[in-house]
Amino acid sequence: MTTDTRVKAAVTIASRVREHARATPDAIAMREKDFGIWQEVTWTEYWDTARTVAHALLALGIEPGDRVAIHAENRKEWLIADVATVAVRAATVGLYPTNPASEVGYLLRHSGARVLVAEDQEQVDKALAVLDDCPDLERIVYLEPRGIRHRYRHPKLMCWEDLVLLGVAHRDANPDALDERMAAARSDDIVTVIYTSGTTGPPKGAMLSASNVDFAIRSLVEGGGFTSPPPGPSDLLLSYLPLCHVAERIFTTWFNAGAGTQVNFAESIATVQANLREVQPTVLFGVPRIWEKILAGVSIRLASASPLKRLNARVWLAVARRIGDTLVRTGGTHTLSTRLMYAAGWLFFYRALRERIGVGRVRYAASGAAPIAPDVLRFFMGIGVPMHEVYGMTENTAVATGNRPGRIKLGTVGEPHSEVELRIDEDTGEILTRHPGTFVGYFRDPAATAAALTEDGWLHTGDIGEWVDGTHVRITDRAKDIMITAGGKNIAPSQIENELKASPYIKEAILVGDRRAFLGALIGIEPDTVGEWAQRRGLAYTTYRDLSGKPEVRALVQSIVDAVNGRRAPVEHVKRFRMLPKELDHEDGELTATQKVKRAAIAGLFADLVEEMYG
Amino acid sequence: MSRARMRGRPLLHTSYASEMALFNTPAKRAWFGALLAVAVALPFLLTDDILQLLALCCVAAIGAIGLGLVTGYAGQVSLGHAFFLAIGAYAAAAISGDPDGRVIGFGVTNMLVWLPAAGLGAAAAGVLVAPLATRLRGLYLAIVTLGLVFIGQHIASEWSSLTGGVGVGRPAATLSVFGYQLAATGAFATRDQKLFWLMLALLLVFALAARNLARSKVGRAFTAIRDRDIAAGVIGVNLARYKTIAFAVSSFYAGCAGALLYTVSGYFDPSSFSLLLSVQYIAMVLIGGAGTVSGAIAGAFFITLLPRLTREVQAWVPFISTQPNEVPNVFQVETILYGVLIIVFLIFEPRGLFGLWVRARNYWKAWPFSY
Repeated sequence: MTTDTRVKAAVTIASRVREHARATPDAIAMREKDFGIWQEVTWTEYWDTARTVAHALLALGIEPGDRVAIHAENRKEWLIADVATVAVRAATVGLYPTNPASEVGYLLRHSGARVLVAEDQEQVDKALAVLDDCPDLERIVYLEPRGIRHRYRHPKLMCWEDLVLLGVAHRDANPDALDERMAAARSDDIVTVIYTSGTTGPPKGAMLSASNVDFAIRSLVEGGGFTSPPPGPSDLLLSYLPLCHVAERIFTTWFNAGAGTQVNFAESIATVQANLREVQPTVLFGVPRIWEKILAGVSIRLASASPLKRLNARVWLAVARRIGDTLVRTGGTHTLSTRLMYAAGWLFFYRALRERIGVGRVRYAASGAAPIAPDVLRFFMGIGVPMHEVYGMTENTAVATGNRPGRIKLGTVGEPHSEVELRIDEDTGEILTRHPGTFVGYFRDPAATAAALTEDGWLHTGDIGEWVDGTHVRITDRAKDIMITAGGKNIAPSQIENELKASPYIKEAILVGDRRAFLGALIGIEPDTVGEWAQRRGLAYTTYRDLSGKPEVRALVQSIVDAVNGRRAPVEHVKRFRMLPKELDHEDGELTATQKVKRAAIAGLFADLVEEMYG
Repeated sequence: MSRARMRGRPLLHTSYASEMALFNTPAKRAWFGALLAVAVALPFLLTDDILQLLALCCVAAIGAIGLGLVTGYAGQVSLGHAFFLAIGAYAAAAISGDPDGRVIGFGVTNMLVWLPAAGLGAAAAGVLVAPLATRLRGLYLAIVTLGLVFIGQHIASEWSSLTGGVGVGRPAATLSVFGYQLAATGAFATRDQKLFWLMLALLLVFALAARNLARSKVGRAFTAIRDRDIAAGVIGVNLARYKTIAFAVSSFYAGCAGALLYTVSGYFDPSSFSLLLSVQYIAMVLIGGAGTVSGAIAGAFFITLLPRLTREVQAWVPFISTQPNEVPNVFQVETILYGVLIIVFLIFEPRGLFGLWVRARNYWKAWPFSY
């Protein structure tokens, strides 16, 4: 092993960025909207800043194996800090911007991060509140000085500009220090600790090594595991999901470092739709919630359009449904008739619609990180967005399965990527994967690691699945979410929930009914669309709670529930439901940082509603 | 390199220059090019009498753009536009006039001299008037500028050595550059064809200059003053300075338009510069769409072509007479139409013809949605 490292340093995202800076110094690496325009960063500027920050980390005494935490929205400093950290052979720990102080404290303490890069006053305040519990934390570097500079006098605080100056000084004094450190990089270096969202219990930190990430880049990016042809420097991506999550890390950092794609940072999650229109990305990844929200937005805006436009939309959406159906049958390959239909619709509707919602130039769209209703995928396929459902998880560096262009099977998560061994346990139905991307283990949690990994290297994914036609994999549900009704029938709640959520009016649907006589549901409405709906009917309302309590809204939800029930066997019918009186929120402990519902917490918080349903 | 790659992403602005470009979308560039090509080709398609009228439209548009700058952009209602047009017209006519003629003339027929001189003369008058605007607002400013028109008319009718006197008039400026006659019938084209091309080219220059001014720091200051002068002052816009600039630039445009206006007919009379002329220009700006250059151009064409249109309409509506001594006659219809159109536009489409265009554009821009 020692001879290996002396001969050749392991390939990391840092060495890849350095390579891009050398090969295409003036090409655009990323764009960030600032003062109204998209400021461009070239590869030279990117690598130069990353190198300086890496020197600063050396100056701060960061040793191989140390952790550096980043607590910021997606922005160029996130990538720079990440690359710098990997360059000095330390591991990056991402914190969700929405993490409340208590979770920040847990993550900082558990990861033992020595340096924290915090975005602004809000995140600095959270860190300072829990500083006493985090003995390892030595420095808090803040990016936005507003509200901090001249007001906070904590000795551990430092602004980004000072960090860069520190790096410049270190670089001048020790010009070779970083190159030496990078040359010593080994493929088993831990490059990042990704804390999984933790729908049950505290988050667990999955350790990914340099070789894990390298495998993911080779398999998903360079090998064209997702897109065909593989991504390249002419591809634009929009970075808007939290970078602490493995999915966005792939599409932002690894696509960028691996294939040289151009990253465009959305201003915030609230401006994603506007930013999509501006950037018109060519590759777009979204979690189901994003796709559902785009679909809901299209529905309400079409519903409130002028009569002629409504008629036009109705005609072409009907055609899109037919195109979508055909594409679903053919696996995503156009036939002559769908091509003709699409060409006509392109002229009148699809081109404008796609342009308006920002997917006009998308050549590859993917949904992952949670199950999605097939109807949503079908809609996007129908209007000409090549939509693919993919599957992976932090623990296997997100390398598992994906629907390939032209070989799509709706309702499945696709075929295993090349070099991926995937099997389904015959007794439990659990999916297991094995490949070089399987994670090293949970940080400081050998028990959990042992539970997740078998001795011969198989990873327990915790997902129940089945083979479809021997090639594609369909996920039934998370193993721990499967419900058993009083009648003894196994029910996968997420499928029913997703069918409910495919309606533009429903934002959250949480099935209950484990060991109960029948299925019930807690339903949260989408305030935008239902508000619009109420407005069109002249229905006055004040707050979310008021709106969701209206009998008319209840009737609307009932009609959606009935429609979903109509497609299912009686044992899977949602017999009763209750409206959630509030929007679920991360801060209130109802959602994880990735907006996944914490079932246990919900069951506790809304126990009265559930009891009322069964009472 | 990055520019080529950004094709088809009109909203992805990577520099302020691209965001503020005069033609910031490919569609605008294409439409402008097409419109310009059609305009340049018109002399081959239309008869000379219509071309003469269109040349007049182009000049009127220059004047309307000028009024649009002070009234539409900077929000200072000015009824004195006829006064500034008069200054330009007489300055130009005097400079290029025959030194041995019946009226004052200096014999400098070069347009490159008399056109800027006319503009600057009017601009100087504008600067003199501007202090009024810094002290007055709204209706009061309108009344004061109205006074200018009467002063101007009085001077014009009394100073007959310059103006030729009421009912007689004097020849307009000569269209020549370094002795070369710009508008004279030749082997290549007739006088009216050349006249149209010349005026079109000048309109293009003045319109682009106005658009450029409107997007600059000065233009933003104008808009700030229009929207709320006190607020503009609070955020650091020097009111006196920018109101003066607005009047100066507007008068410059008016002076140039005045100088060119009568070169088409070749002769003019002091009674032309009445309140009606000011009202016509206000109508151009309001009907076209206040606060836009393209609106001012559209309004100028519309108002200038209106007499011709009413005469065309007369053929279909026989009870309207063409004789001025019969009732109802086309001249009355015309006068009534000004008033009616202003009322209709202010009530139903305050943004003018430009607003109609914006509505039509937004309908398609929002496609397939409504907003």
